[in-house]
Amino acid sequence: MSGRRVLRSGLPVVLSLALAAYILAPFAWVALSSIQPEKELFRVPPRWIPRVLTVDNYRFVFTGRFPAGYEETGIARGRISEKARDALPALRNSTIVAVSVALANLVLGTLAAYTFSRLRFPGAGPLYSFILASRLLPPMAVAIPYYLIVNRLGLLDRYAALILIHTVFTLPFTVWFLTVYFRRVPPDLEEAAFVDGCTRLQALVRIVVPVTAPALAAATAFSFMFSYNDFPFALFVTSTIRSQTIPVIVANTAINPDVSFGVVAVTVVLTMLPPVAFAMAFRRYITRGLITVTTTR
Amino acid sequence: MPPRRQYRETRYAYATVLPVVLIVALFTLYPFAFALLTSLREVVLYRPWSQPFVGLKNYLDVVRSEFFVASWQHTLTFVAWAVPLATLLGFAVAHLLNARTPLAPLLNVVILLPWAIPTVISGIIWAWIFNSSYGAFNGALYSLGLIDSYLPWLSRPRSALACVLFAHIWKEVPLTSILYLAALQAIPEELYDAARVDGAGALAALRRITVPLVLPTTLIVLVYETMVGIVTFDLLYVMTGGGPAGATSLISYYLYNSMFVAFNFGQGAALAVLLALALVALIALYLRLLRSEEIYAT
Amino acid sequence: MGSRRIAVLAFLLTVILTGSAAFGAAPVQLTFTVWSYSTDVILDNIKKFEAANPGIKVALQDFAWEKYVDVMTARFVGKTPTDLAYSSDHWLQQWAAANWIVPLEDYFPQVNAYKPDFAPYAIEGMTYKGKLYGLPYYADTIIFIYNEEMLKRAGFSAPPATWDDVTKMALAMKEKKIVEYPIMFQFQDITPWYIEVFLSMVYSYKDYRMFDTNLNPIYDREGSAAHKVAQWLVDGMRKHKIINPASLETTEIPLVKAMGAGQVAFAVLPKYNLADLNTPGAHAQAGKFKFALMPGESHGTVGFVRFYAMTKMAADRGPAVREAAWKFLEYFGGRTGNEFVVVKRWALDKGLGFAQLPLYKDPQIRAAINKWGNVTLEEQQAKLARAKEALTPFWGSWSLEFQKEMNKALLGQKSALEALKASAAKWREMKK
Repeated sequence: MSGRRVLRSGLPVVLSLALAAYILAPFAWVALSSIQPEKELFRVPPRWIPRVLTVDNYRFVFTGRFPAGYEETGIARGRISEKARDALPALRNSTIVAVSVALANLVLGTLAAYTFSRLRFPGAGPLYSFILASRLLPPMAVAIPYYLIVNRLGLLDRYAALILIHTVFTLPFTVWFLTVYFRRVPPDLEEAAFVDGCTRLQALVRIVVPVTAPALAAATAFSFMFSYNDFPFALFVTSTIRSQTIPVIVANTAINPDVSFGVVAVTVVLTMLPPVAFAMAFRRYITRGLITVTTTR
Repeated sequence: MPPRRQYRETRYAYATVLPVVLIVALFTLYPFAFALLTSLREVVLYRPWSQPFVGLKNYLDVVRSEFFVASWQHTLTFVAWAVPLATLLGFAVAHLLNARTPLAPLLNVVILLPWAIPTVISGIIWAWIFNSSYGAFNGALYSLGLIDSYLPWLSRPRSALACVLFAHIWKEVPLTSILYLAALQAIPEELYDAARVDGAGALAALRRITVPLVLPTTLIVLVYETMVGIVTFDLLYVMTGGGPAGATSLISYYLYNSMFVAFNFGQGAALAVLLALALVALIALYLRLLRSEEIYAT
Repeated sequence: MGSRRIAVLAFLLTVILTGSAAFGAAPVQLTFTVWSYSTDVILDNIKKFEAANPGIKVALQDFAWEKYVDVMTARFVGKTPTDLAYSSDHWLQQWAAANWIVPLEDYFPQVNAYKPDFAPYAIEGMTYKGKLYGLPYYADTIIFIYNEEMLKRAGFSAPPATWDDVTKMALAMKEKKIVEYPIMFQFQDITPWYIEVFLSMVYSYKDYRMFDTNLNPIYDREGSAAHKVAQWLVDGMRKHKIINPASLETTEIPLVKAMGAGQVAFAVLPKYNLADLNTPGAHAQAGKFKFALMPGESHGTVGFVRFYAMTKMAADRGPAVREAAWKFLEYFGGRTGNEFVVVKRWALDKGLGFAQLPLYKDPQIRAAINKWGNVTLEEQQAKLARAKEALTPFWGSWSLEFQKEMNKALLGQKSALEALKASAAKWREMKK
């Protein structure tokens, strides 16, 4: 094998390894931190291979029992964030909100995108452009008005507020994405259905949706991710654990004056689980859906 | 088409499109109008009883403030690094994902992780890693013998911005590389075969086939990354608090501060309007540049 | 059991039920807002209060600390029913000027009897235009903490008494390679403790004033206490290199963790951190931390107070509600029987500081504090502390400007005096 051949086959492997290490290192660091006692996390230099392992931090988040070293009650008790115990309800809130947003996108987005891709009606162009252009407003610019709208609707600190806002922010992408996708589905199949007396809606549900399932899955996944990841809006329109989502709780925990870093690491690990599982499940659809859309002019 | 059916179709069209339009309108037109009106008044949250009309005063105050200029400088520096890096690295990583190496399947899974976690979480992780007193980054450099004592990465203006940039790239490259991967996979293999037959090298093929064909993706990536870069907020909120001495106070963080820390909603709204206009202008500029480029290339 | 006896029992039961219903008709409902800290303890206190005061029901609403001011502002402006609320010396001027909360002495003259019990800084922090607006929930001071072992290794037997001593001792430690940067601060741009720490150093001087009687800044004059402190900080960081440059990214928790790990010998921190630092499970160096009176001429420092306040809305609801509100205030911030029941509980269970000076005589409290600190010194420091001046509504935004400017000086972008002048200019602009 010539040197050049070695380079050609070896280099990508080396680069791939480097890339994987670069991506995974922070995750590994957090995961390792979550299973060590607090004292171990502040060594200089750190212990690259943990010496003492413990599940105390997890136990605290799940049961409220203090990790060893924090057990002593009375005035000398060290501080540990009670906020971290909100991580579980916050995960539930986040999941409820993100799933609702994904479903709203699926229903509203599919209906509208199919119409934009097939039907001609007065105002179709301007309405389509309006929906897409709305995404240009920077989130910070609309934070206060959003707060006021939500307040006026009586939805402060409710799931509905977050679901509405996230849906508004994800729909433009979903509509654009699906419109582009639907345009590539040949209309012949539906035409046959119309002859059989199907309505538009029936044709969409029975014929188009099954063929475009990967794209629908991709769009759903994207809106789920956006909603799950949102921090600024959730920060403004939620105020208690009734509706606070996991990014808000983890950020509050991390900057809380009561914090134990091991416990923060646990909340970070817990936060990563749902979207990572979601990303794994929808991985194929995401790439496949994107191939079609990004190559359409 | 018979008029009856035409009528029914139109009714169906509106019934399906209007819910989306209305909900988007409620959360765009009203907020924008509100921001516009607020920006013309003196609205300070701790003085709720008096909100006089002040014309363009808020705009003048904002533009004249030294922090406005400084935060735009920081923002543009940040974007000038973040956009090309996210684009080029995304393009490069996409090739690795697309390569037929034994690691590719693993890499295709791993690459999704940074994208999947909330930005604010990645900020917390990176703030921890770059921490000057006990961070793993310092620890690694120290263990490798590259430094004698821990360095204050987040306490110096330039390196603090670089740390934020590093965390930002880590979070953004996965998405850009997936977008590019999709684009790469859509290029027919025959084009490369033909180029090889013509005696073109790898570089020539890259320049003549790959780059032009992924141009639509590049456009999407550039526009998206510019927007994301300009409105970066989460990372700053948890990594630096805009410091040291305001060195990482990018424009949207400055906006957040004027509204939710100083409670000066009037000035905040003026800033918001300026930011929205800047975004629209930037994106229009991109579209123009790239469109003409595209026509020129073909 | 005979039917006669059942009838008698039934009769008695009826009398008791109707009687209590007549007397306890329509319990007074109070709404109490707090920031979320140990809500389980608050709820338990409420339960005990309700048991001791049948006829009063308290509904608790809690909000995250970072958003508490926003939420309360929205509640007051929108007239959301709120009777009692946590407040802070920081917001007193704003809330009182807007007539959102009322002076307690206007409604309950008996509150004056409590004044001799409270530390002076706490009274100052709860007083607006000469009137007392609250009873303390907790109060604390900013103190000087040192690692005794490091000090001994450097050859010193007593903690520093002046800022020059601090420099001298820090240089000695640096020279003997005990620790590279003996001093660390929490000087991240936006951390609220920054200004408190700076002011507590300023208040350690005799001529400590930052503002004149008309609230005009005088701290930007050459040779002012603020100038001396700022110059000391700049020298410590840039000339002597005894202050950790990482201070500029550091907030309270990381500072405490770094100190606990043995990277810091001297720090200025809110007092409750000492309890944490000396907790064995949490820190490698636990047990080695002591506190000294704030170095300087007068050993003064900043004291701050968080208190229970009654809203205007509650006062307007009539005498029955006011009476219930007073019972609540007295139960939570004052005496029940002869004891400060709730305040003592916070101190024992959670280590919170207090402004109720008689508690320093309580043997239980003394024993508890001495486990991690020094109760005599603490009492002494509490008496030397003072509340922050000029807590105007724009104080918060000004402090952010101040911190950002001061950090420019610490980075060497401007001189200490230039930084002070820049933030004083901001104050003048905001005051207009």
